[in-house]
Amino acid sequence: MLKKVISYTALFILGFCFLLPFVIMIFGSFKDVEFAQLDPLFWIPEDPTLKNYIYIMRDGLFLRWILNSIIVTVIPVASQMIFCAVLGYIFAKKQFPGREAIFWTFMAVIMIPQQLLIIPKFIMFSDFGWINTYWALTVPELWGIMGVFLVRQFLQNIPNDLEEAAYIDGANDIQIFMKVILPLSIPVVATVGTFSFISNWNDLFQPLIYLTQEKMFPVTLGLASMLGKEGNFGFEMAGSAVSFIPTFLIFLFFQRYFTEGIQMSGLK
Amino acid sequence: MKREWNRNAIVYIFLIPVIIHFIVFQIYPFLLSFYLTFMDWKVIGDPEFVGVKHWQHFLSDKLAWKALWNTVMFSVYYIIPTMALGLILALIINSGVKMAGFFKGVFFLPVVTSFVIIAGIWGWLFGGTEAGMINYLISFIGIEPQLFLANSSQALAVLAGLSIFKVGGSTMIYYFAGLQSIDKQLYEAARIDGASAIKIFWKVTFPLLKPIHFYVAITTTIGSFQIFDSAYLLTGGGPNYATTTIVYYLYEQGFTGLNLSYAAVLSYVLFAIILVISLIQRKYLGQESKHY
Repeated sequence: MLKKVISYTALFILGFCFLLPFVIMIFGSFKDVEFAQLDPLFWIPEDPTLKNYIYIMRDGLFLRWILNSIIVTVIPVASQMIFCAVLGYIFAKKQFPGREAIFWTFMAVIMIPQQLLIIPKFIMFSDFGWINTYWALTVPELWGIMGVFLVRQFLQNIPNDLEEAAYIDGANDIQIFMKVILPLSIPVVATVGTFSFISNWNDLFQPLIYLTQEKMFPVTLGLASMLGKEGNFGFEMAGSAVSFIPTFLIFLFFQRYFTEGIQMSGLK
Repeated sequence: MKREWNRNAIVYIFLIPVIIHFIVFQIYPFLLSFYLTFMDWKVIGDPEFVGVKHWQHFLSDKLAWKALWNTVMFSVYYIIPTMALGLILALIINSGVKMAGFFKGVFFLPVVTSFVIIAGIWGWLFGGTEAGMINYLISFIGIEPQLFLANSSQALAVLAGLSIFKVGGSTMIYYFAGLQSIDKQLYEAARIDGASAIKIFWKVTFPLLKPIHFYVAITTTIGSFQIFDSAYLLTGGGPNYATTTIVYYLYEQGFTGLNLSYAAVLSYVLFAIILVISLIQRKYLGQESKHY
């Protein structure tokens, strides 16, 4: 009984603390605020207004940021799902010389921090003319080794019988992949997609390096520039709330895939 | 030949482009960066060979060592609290409460939310005036308003707090999986022996989670060495370099100061640290897997 009381008390207190920032964001976005005279409880809902939303939408720049974010997220997500599914299959099921060597070379590169690669990539992309373009944020993200690893792990636990039967029936390997392997892999491919979505949608470091023109910013970098420039908490919260909607929807529908993916990547 | 193509076409069609991509976007930059550390890279004109000048500069660069020290201090503030928070959240979720699934989602929500959103709110919560929410709350228990992000001895801890809040939910997932895998009979046996709930936790649950503790400690350590977003968004490395972490310093040197060669040296230092931590993990996990 005591244990139940402690559990529920802790659950509600922590739950409240974790939700509070989000509540402040949403309520705050509907309040008319002057930054200088902000009081600590300004967000308590009364006199809601759409002023902040109207302000951030005023010149279309914010919508452009959202559009940029969608472009630099959807392309890598779609591509990663395809490439990681196929490569996971190749490394789990196909026999060819150098298979293990190639896979573990890929895996070793995980230890290289992204901050190391960004410096030479900045120089390369300057030469390619990729600065201030979508190329810099999409082309390098077309596949990812973590996703390949997840699919490989998943498929290694699936017996080869189905595949062998399909070969005997005269199917080629692309047909087998499409008809046999892919339908089985949907949960793990969904995990790859959700991870890719979060990492691309939320990325700040790469856009910060590769982009200087405001109109090319994704919404993370755009919001960061607002943080420094506008100085109005209401505008910031309205922008944050809008940029949070896609994350929240993905989270709502794919939460299971996040948690399963975290467990799979961690505890082999 | 036809049979080989039928069986392995997919390997050639997909693996070859991916290997090329891997060489262009991973291997080549990695090597280019190393080459860069021995050159003076200029915005215009050809790079000039300068030997180990930038490496020597690093050894005597007080700010670089301060940045490393700040990063270590950040880890101190961050690692144990994140693990403790994750474990507490997992224990609550695992204790058979109702709506566990809903609260698991709530605790996980900051993990998927961008740093920019959380930092915006966090910066306001920890505002350094009486209008800041946290200052407002602590005024009830008689504490003077604190400067928080504007105070060089508090700023790093406030940033660590942000990361704890953001990452606690993913630590929870690991611990939750660990708790679920513990054999229920062990608890039964301990209870029959008359052990109290607290004793069961410290003598049974906590030691059995050892592989999880280790894994989480390693991943949070690696994460803490790469901290950048919150320092960039909230403090700009200040006040008085108090939140200049290694990655922030690298960014500042490379992309504000355009000293890309020196930034490359710093990035190799970061790489060396992460490599050592990862190798410790490999070694330990290699041994650990024998027990299962």
